[in-house]
Amino acid sequence: MYTLYFKIALRYLLKNKRYSFINISGLAIGVASFILIMLYVGYERSYDKFDGSENVYRVYMDYLTGDAYAAGDAQTYNLVGPTLKKEFSEVVDYLRFYRLGKTTLRTQDHILQSDNGCIADASYFEVFNKNLLNGDVNTALKEPNTIVLTETLANKFFGNQNPVGKTIQVYSGVPATFTITGVLKDQPKNSHFKINYLISYSTMANWGAISETIKKPSWNNNTFYTYILIDEKADGAVLQQKILDRGLEEVNDERMNIEPIEDIHLYSNKPYEAEANGSAMRVKFLTAIAFIILILSWLNYINLSTTKSLERAKEIGIRKVAGAQKRQLIVQSLLESVILNVLAIIIAVILAVIVLPAYNNFTGKAMNFDVEGALQLLPILGIILLGMILAGLYPAIVLSSYSPSKALKGKIRTSAQGLHIRKGLIITQFLATIVLLIGTIVVTKQINFMQEQPIGSDLNNVIAIKGEILNASTDSLLRRDYGFLMDELKKMPTVTKTALSNTYPGDGYDNLSSFMGMTYPDGTLNEQKVWYNYEVNPDYFEVMGIEFLAGQGFKENVKKYSNDIVVNAEFVKEVGITNVEDAIYKKVKFWGREWNIAGVIKDYHHFGLKNPVEPMVLRHSPTSDVLLVKLDAGITSVAGFNSIINELQNRWNTTFPESTFNYTFIDQKFQAQYEEDNKFSDAFKVFTALAIFIAALGLFGLTSYTCIQRKKEIGIRKVNGASIFKILKLLNIDFIKWVGIAFFIAIPISWYAMNSWLENFAIKTSISWWIFVLAGISALLITLLTVSWQSFVAANANPVDALRDE
Amino acid sequence: MLLKLNNLSKWVQSGGQKIHLLKDVSFWVNEGDFISVMGPSGSGKSTLLNIIGMLDDFNEGEYTFMDEAVHNLKEKHRSNLYKQYIGFVFQSYHLIDELTVKENLEMPLLYKKHGGAERKALVADMLDRFNIVGKKDLFPAQLSGGQQQLVGIARALIANPKLILADEPTGNLNSKQGEEIMDIFTQLNKEGVTIIQVTHSEKNMKYGSRVINLLDGSIVTG
Repeated sequence: MYTLYFKIALRYLLKNKRYSFINISGLAIGVASFILIMLYVGYERSYDKFDGSENVYRVYMDYLTGDAYAAGDAQTYNLVGPTLKKEFSEVVDYLRFYRLGKTTLRTQDHILQSDNGCIADASYFEVFNKNLLNGDVNTALKEPNTIVLTETLANKFFGNQNPVGKTIQVYSGVPATFTITGVLKDQPKNSHFKINYLISYSTMANWGAISETIKKPSWNNNTFYTYILIDEKADGAVLQQKILDRGLEEVNDERMNIEPIEDIHLYSNKPYEAEANGSAMRVKFLTAIAFIILILSWLNYINLSTTKSLERAKEIGIRKVAGAQKRQLIVQSLLESVILNVLAIIIAVILAVIVLPAYNNFTGKAMNFDVEGALQLLPILGIILLGMILAGLYPAIVLSSYSPSKALKGKIRTSAQGLHIRKGLIITQFLATIVLLIGTIVVTKQINFMQEQPIGSDLNNVIAIKGEILNASTDSLLRRDYGFLMDELKKMPTVTKTALSNTYPGDGYDNLSSFMGMTYPDGTLNEQKVWYNYEVNPDYFEVMGIEFLAGQGFKENVKKYSNDIVVNAEFVKEVGITNVEDAIYKKVKFWGREWNIAGVIKDYHHFGLKNPVEPMVLRHSPTSDVLLVKLDAGITSVAGFNSIINELQNRWNTTFPESTFNYTFIDQKFQAQYEEDNKFSDAFKVFTALAIFIAALGLFGLTSYTCIQRKKEIGIRKVNGASIFKILKLLNIDFIKWVGIAFFIAIPISWYAMNSWLENFAIKTSISWWIFVLAGISALLITLLTVSWQSFVAANANPVDALRDE
Repeated sequence: MLLKLNNLSKWVQSGGQKIHLLKDVSFWVNEGDFISVMGPSGSGKSTLLNIIGMLDDFNEGEYTFMDEAVHNLKEKHRSNLYKQYIGFVFQSYHLIDELTVKENLEMPLLYKKHGGAERKALVADMLDRFNIVGKKDLFPAQLSGGQQQLVGIARALIANPKLILADEPTGNLNSKQGEEIMDIFTQLNKEGVTIIQVTHSEKNMKYGSRVINLLDGSIVTG
């Protein structure tokens, strides 16, 4: 019997090619989108899950701001770990990381630059990763001057040889030689703390590259990431409360806090994060979109197959006469929907597999359909299967309940209740479409708005050059060499200006230093606020196009570090001075020194426009390690840029023969901060377009069918004098009404949703009224276009044809 | 007696008014009868046939089929009853377009839990009997009207029913094809199958042994 059902279903699908195509492609696109989005969502949620990760917590610092504590810093003091272990029995062990930034590693045969190098406690292997390929986890990071490399890095230096026991030099300002004690399995990409190599913590004491203040166990420098491993029987929330209750007498207005390592990627966004994290909000939005698309395609399916089932009435009648029972008919109908859905799912999976590499490229993730991935997909497939059955059940029940004598006479018409349900389904489709349209417009508007904002600095055509100078030089020698190099560069016709600094807008927190505790010009001491600062040379302001509001920049030829500082307008506001002019020559105190405000610059966005402008202090230093080169604005071609970069590298290498060379276009780096948002906006657009396409497919199928059904009615109306316009109106008016209803339901939903999304941004665009109107009109146009194509054909048909075959 | 109708009525409500489709219809059918139901359009012929075939309900009266009181039966029992004893033949054949001739014939057996081998044998018998072996893999759309009706009759007969209900079986056929179909009915009747046909045509009526004339839902002469 099932073979027969199967045969009928297949023949039916083949016979009704248009219907099958619309139905299957709608479902397939929907399911493929759902799979891809859920893969991404699953990936984002899979961060930092390893054996025992549920017992690993990260410690971070809360800062007291006003009366309340707020998450202040992802980094901690080097005493945090030992203190927690000593005082709380739940804490089994602690692990500290000190990040080394970009360093140069060197063996006899190779020189390579590597980032994500870390000084780490030997407990690394207990707390984090137990996957040491070569070497002994118990001793690997015990001794001073020992290093563990990841597999990839080890391969680059040593190929297939076992590097354990060999030596490698690490330059971080000052070189040091390390013995390799282990090879670490490469970390999965879905971990928030990327590591390329680890240096033993005990190295620090005797390593010149690390400043004395950091080496010393103290409550002075929060530059360490601290993770704790807690007893598996301990309750993290209870421990957290205990740690909060303990307070932190050692440091004013701060306290320690902990969070599960598994939550960091999606829920943490603190200053000095190990890397830019994901966003739970984004994941939530994408999940919502995924379900909307999936549900849209099911609604489509239900609608189409219920409508189409009228055509099957005769068959059902015959079957009933031949003795089929309702249950058997439901089973048959369900089987058909299963066949159709399974076909769609197969196509969807194939589609997803084909698209996956491009999708990975687009999202910058490493998702795949391996065993683990497939297991991840199981719940997804479960959802799909369940929906499939539900979506098949309604048409099946409708179909099987036809009375046979009526069905055989072709007297079946949709019941009033059935019409209501279908109307509801279509309105829901419109609703989803309009909500997505509004979402797309708001997201696009916000992204454009952000990118069009003046950032208060001109980043165009500025190249930042940073290299590791391997022959250790003294400050004064370096200063002389940099001066020489800059003079050389200025001789290039394409270079307009050069400057030195240790960071620049868009560089993030990495090279920015911060401090707490400052005495204001009026004598008040603020110990709560975090102040960001960096060093620049006098030309910095001109190269970066930063304007002065008052005072002036730094003077050339300052032998020693000067006491002059330049601050931004936000700083002036923060210290309680209303007029920027009044700030000049005012004194502030920090680091136990008195500083003179020499100039006030216009606020510029150092962190990108997602964050508000922070007070900023720029100190004067004639030697900083980032060389900024402003190029002539006339260069536009890639070849032009390439030849300049070659030239720059040549001159760099002439000045610093033993060195590496790295360059960055800082406008690109600044834009890269919005990469995730741009991708989100692109994803929103793509998936909205797909959702609209699916909805339009369904609408198309539906109207083509209603037009056939109403052929006779249209014929009679035409014979009685109805114009084509009147017929079009007759066929379209319902859809217009439904779009209208959906539109009004969509407004509050999308307004609420998009408002909560915009909460993520410091600078937000407004949700203007025209967005809703535009979305509404677009939905209406898409609908009318889809519907009218069919209605127009129907309205134009010769009524004689329609009436003849009755 | 195969079946008996006693004061059977069916009506529909329309605008607060009761419109009778059948009114106080009483008659009986013996095994081996060949009955023609005649009457103008709208006189209730098809309704009567549907009720006898248990495809339609009625509002009043009694209907006994092989000593079972149909008016007291539940839908499931009723469907078991007609499944077992009644075969239908329609004016527009009502074959399933997506199935081949062979599969169309097999379909009723599927709902009666016959084994695969038995189904095959029965289908082969029918194909043989109606001389349509060569057409067994064709779809209905590939057959002429007369051939489709042959398949329709073969399908009605395949489960070996006691009663054939035929609703204008030759209505869509030309006269030659019509005659052939009526000859088949005569032959079947001789073999002991009871037949009730609804017809417009005097010529077809004459194949029957008894005529029931309907007018406005009532029997005029019995």
